[in-house]
Amino acid sequence: MTAPALGVLAGLDPRVAASLESCVRCNLCAESCHVFLEDGDPASAPAAKVDRVARLYRRYRTWSGRVVPWLTGARDLTPGILEDLKEAAFGRCTMCGRCTLNCAVGLDPAAVIGLARAMLVAAGKVPAGIQANVAAALETGNSMRIPPEEVRETLAWLEQDLRESTGDPTVSLPVDRPGRRVLYALNPREIKFFPLSIQAAGLLFHAAHESWTLTSTDFDITNYAYFACDRGAQAAISRKLLERAEALGVERLVVAECGHGYRSLRWEAPEVLGRRLPFEIVSFVELLDEYVAGGRVTLDAARNRERVTLHDPCNLVRNGGVIEPQRRVLRRAAWDFVEMTPNREHAYCCGGGGGLLAASEYAARRVAAGRLKAEQIRRTGAKVVVTPCHNCIDQLLELNKHYDLGVEIRTLAEVAADALIPPNHAG
Amino acid sequence: MTASAAVLLAALIVAAASLARARSGIGSVRGPGYAAARGSESAGVRYAFTSAFLPWAKESAGGHLPTYLAGIVYHAGLFAMLARLVVTLLPVSVPRVLDLALAPLLGVALACGLGLLAKRLTTPTLRALSQPDDVVANLLVDLALASAAGAALSPGVSPAFQLAGALLLVYAPLGKLRHMVFLVTSRRLWGQYYGRRGVRG
Repeated sequence: MTAPALGVLAGLDPRVAASLESCVRCNLCAESCHVFLEDGDPASAPAAKVDRVARLYRRYRTWSGRVVPWLTGARDLTPGILEDLKEAAFGRCTMCGRCTLNCAVGLDPAAVIGLARAMLVAAGKVPAGIQANVAAALETGNSMRIPPEEVRETLAWLEQDLRESTGDPTVSLPVDRPGRRVLYALNPREIKFFPLSIQAAGLLFHAAHESWTLTSTDFDITNYAYFACDRGAQAAISRKLLERAEALGVERLVVAECGHGYRSLRWEAPEVLGRRLPFEIVSFVELLDEYVAGGRVTLDAARNRERVTLHDPCNLVRNGGVIEPQRRVLRRAAWDFVEMTPNREHAYCCGGGGGLLAASEYAARRVAAGRLKAEQIRRTGAKVVVTPCHNCIDQLLELNKHYDLGVEIRTLAEVAADALIPPNHAG
Repeated sequence: MTASAAVLLAALIVAAASLARARSGIGSVRGPGYAAARGSESAGVRYAFTSAFLPWAKESAGGHLPTYLAGIVYHAGLFAMLARLVVTLLPVSVPRVLDLALAPLLGVALACGLGLLAKRLTTPTLRALSQPDDVVANLLVDLALASAAGAALSPGVSPAFQLAGALLLVYAPLGKLRHMVFLVTSRRLWGQYYGRRGVRG
């Protein structure tokens, strides 16, 4: 069990090795971690989590670790240590990267946790819920095993419903149309549980007179292998959607509101695949911002009178660089938009990142770690929480119930669609 | 060359070779990635090595100001001490006034080092994270700082300074002091990451 994990350590990425060598165990990062802030357990501090990996690194990759292990705390990898590593890397970390941004030295604890997870992948120790999603995506092209016929039927029903509710027979949710400018790729949870966000995006595309299409196959923007840090499976899952986009001949792949989906496709996929892509990858958030700024979509903030706040998904904002577009849109779409504190790249993780929503064994800790976010939301006095990430939405829905926040959790597209002035009424 | 200078020179060569070997052991970091950049890597790196050191740039620094500032002073004293140590091997004479000016900095750095060690040993969370290496590394640096301050005030202490420096250099490749060569790489990568993604820089 330990040998494959040690193999990962042997072929270590130099970036991660530099981080492991640079940590001086100052522990100044502790308060940057939402898990530590909530439970106060020294084992939850980022430095402690890094140290679990660093002690193995020293043991197997340094001379002093082999000869005088007691000096630096170097230790052998045993099945017990692997269990401890799993608990730290999956149970106490969402890989949100807030500690990385705030590390006084300038190392990357999140990348070190990524190494721990990669070792756990090799050892077959990934939480079953995460692994099941990886397997589903590899086998069927999406993590919820939704067959293409069901996708087409759902979209057809949503299109019909949209036409009836708007009274506009020209509104459409085009599927599998080659040669369009934009491919809009979905999170499978939207098809199963959040169809309103698809309809909202459809309305906005329609208002912008966009040339776009959805796809009934390989549509999935989520990538649980990215969470698991299983680089091989991650590449295979990303490749499916990217090849579909190439086959459809689009100019732009637009990623629906999903933080890790955006990061794994926009930033990580070209790296794990080792090639530049023939089309641009943007978040729907960025596209909507373009539409609003360019006058292709007109919004009336008066249509959303309730106080709105914004939760920043870590993978979209701190690790994705999409920081201001969602704010520009919200200022046009909501009458009373207030920020949480801290916000933007400094925002706290909601607690549901890193695949934790699929790891039921850590559910209690995940909800407890979300208390910080719940309190942030409560302090704003907002009635609506917008977040451009379906993963965060799932966690915030649970926090809403658990902490009795009494708020509505919505995507940016949904709020923008409510503020939309129909094209024939605009200007 | 005196015996202590010879020992120091040998230690310097051993440390430099060992640290260079350790650095090359992790391999080279690949250049710009395949994903189209949103921001500037070089701007991110510039930020990492300038403004990111300001106490208010990072929550970890601003929230632990005394510790962070003690760390900065400690390292400033350490760099000054190492520079002065190397100079003892060169055929140059340092003006007395310069040594007298250096002594207070070394003294304050020593106090900071001891303060950081005290914090490490008395704070439960920090103590739980600590290894013998943390104490040894700190004490060796403190010893070198103390002897450097002594040598700055009284040239007769110079051989002791050279031997303390040699001891520190020989130990450096064994434990956490290795961060002196890896920190530059990590910090550069940190800046590249946030610069490329348009988050910093």
